[in-house]
Amino acid sequence: MMSVRAMKAALKQQAIHFFVDPQWVIPSIIAPFIFTTVTLFLFRHTGGDLMLYAVLGGGVLGMWGNTIHSSSWSIGYDRMNGTLEAIMVTPAPLSSVVFGRCLWNAFLGLLNALAVFLVAKFAFGIDVTVRDPLGFLVALAATLLSLAVLGMVFGAFYVVTRASSALFQMLEYPIYVLSGAMFPLVVLPEWSRPFSYALPATWGAEALKIASLPGYDPLGLGYMGALGLTALTTLVFLLVSLWLFSFLEGRAKVNGTLVRY
Amino acid sequence: MSDGEAVIEAEGLTKVYPAAFRLFGDGGREKLAVDNVTFNVRRGEIFGLLGPNGAGKTTTVKMLSTLLIPTSGKATVLGLDVVRDAGKLRSRINLVSGGERGLYFRLTGRQNLEFFSDMYHVPREEKRRRITNLLEIVGLTEAADVRVEEYSRGMKQRLHLARGLVNEPEVLFLDEPTLGLDPEISRETRALIRHLSEEGVTILLTTHYMFEADELCDRLAIISEGRIKALGSPYSMKEAVRNDSIIEVEARELGEAQRRELADLPGVSAVSVEHLEGRQRARIVVANAPGLIPTVAAMLESRRVISIRVDQPTLEDAYIKLVNGR
Ligand SMILES: Nc1ncnc2c1ncn2[C@@H]1O[C@H](COP(=O)(O)OP(=O)(O)O)[C@@H](O)[C@H]1O
Ligand SMILES: [Mg+2]
Repeated sequence: MMSVRAMKAALKQQAIHFFVDPQWVIPSIIAPFIFTTVTLFLFRHTGGDLMLYAVLGGGVLGMWGNTIHSSSWSIGYDRMNGTLEAIMVTPAPLSSVVFGRCLWNAFLGLLNALAVFLVAKFAFGIDVTVRDPLGFLVALAATLLSLAVLGMVFGAFYVVTRASSALFQMLEYPIYVLSGAMFPLVVLPEWSRPFSYALPATWGAEALKIASLPGYDPLGLGYMGALGLTALTTLVFLLVSLWLFSFLEGRAKVNGTLVRY
Repeated sequence: MSDGEAVIEAEGLTKVYPAAFRLFGDGGREKLAVDNVTFNVRRGEIFGLLGPNGAGKTTTVKMLSTLLIPTSGKATVLGLDVVRDAGKLRSRINLVSGGERGLYFRLTGRQNLEFFSDMYHVPREEKRRRITNLLEIVGLTEAADVRVEEYSRGMKQRLHLARGLVNEPEVLFLDEPTLGLDPEISRETRALIRHLSEEGVTILLTTHYMFEADELCDRLAIISEGRIKALGSPYSMKEAVRNDSIIEVEARELGEAQRRELADLPGVSAVSVEHLEGRQRARIVVANAPGLIPTVAAMLESRRVISIRVDQPTLEDAYIKLVNGR
């Protein structure tokens, strides 16, 4: 069902594309950077943990923005480029190709988060010491993985239509808010919580905050609890995306929509 | 080669594209693109699907290469069902489509081939050897590490072919492989296709050029409006016009109305009109050309006729007769 070889090849391909084409620097590096800077500026009088909160928000947002852009790009690009059929005719599952590319983008997000921390520390002089550095790194990796998987869910729709991009760009911002990356979950309205809780990024961000902010745990999950929920929701989305890929590939093969751009 | 085993078997193959879903406006119509098509391709053969634009060639090839699910009918390639055994089949076939698209233009030629080799799990050592070899065969060794965006049209097409060979397919589908190529590069491409065939690859190619089918194919099917109109060797196709002769008329004011009038004359089985600079050339396929000349001359009197002569039928005439004729 998955091909590691195809994933690696796709990751490498995505990396080459990144280095060759500087336009990706804007959504993946500059945008989250500006986002964080603005946030830090707004919060500059509050001080303390809230500042770190903003740094984390910017970091996670950076990763998220990156992943959603890459998912927009991945199959959409192949469709535009005429390579979708060239991949489909091989035995490698399309989902593996997309996953590999999303992994690269998530990795970029990691570098991004690092950049955000450095800016916070050296440009704004914020204390960015995290409480549990190892836990923080593990949670970060888990969050990245969950974002890659969520990217796949979006990516699948490009198999049937190119109209997907408008939809996902619309979804990007609500997800910033719902995942609690930007604001604490508890300040969001009651009705939005089910959406928040369904997102792996929510639990990833929660685990990150628990690992970094002393005494932070508004939902009483504990670090392992938040990490476990990240893993669980990620797994659910992974299964959803695999199912979506096979379902939508089937649709495309009936309707003949693989080539229409 | 005539008694080789069948490696492609299509039986009653039919594709109806469903009406497109649209949020606004007309939902579009269902489209019968391939209508009950039956043919076999034997091992080692070059088999051609010849037909005009929109005939259903690409649709047929996509069904056979697992990219489209037939609406009805059945097809097997290498004994594997193209729908049920698609996964198993894919590692043993490949598809190359003509045109500029279908390569990663930001990657080099070699990187493109590496990527697609990985999709087939070609073992690493073998991968290096095979890619070097393929680049050599298609004459891209020098340009291997140059980005595809800098390739010429012909180089891209050769890289396409190399991509189609990374898994050493037993059956290769080529959809209009010379589309949009200039004559020189088309010739090179055909030579390459012949070379592959000599290496034992079974090839199904589509084209709308009669001469290309004639030059390359052991057998071919003429397809029009989704149906097979004739099937056999290029030689046997010519048989279709063996007892015919041709009246060739050049004039300055020949249009579709005249073409239809001519086609309705007794004994006429097909008429084609070719538009040249400032004049038109009609070729009338008819049983008895000399006998019909006076009628044709009278009919076209007011059309500024330049010349009328009798000619021998060519393969082109056979094709036109088989596609349009009665
Ligand atoms: N994806 C598609 N959806 C709907 N109709 C299609 C699609 N692809 C092709 N068609 C229609 O099916 C017919 C056959 O097309 P095609 O197989 O591409 O012909 P050819 O390759 O011989 O030019 C044409 O009328 C074309 O417009
Ligand atoms: Mg075609």
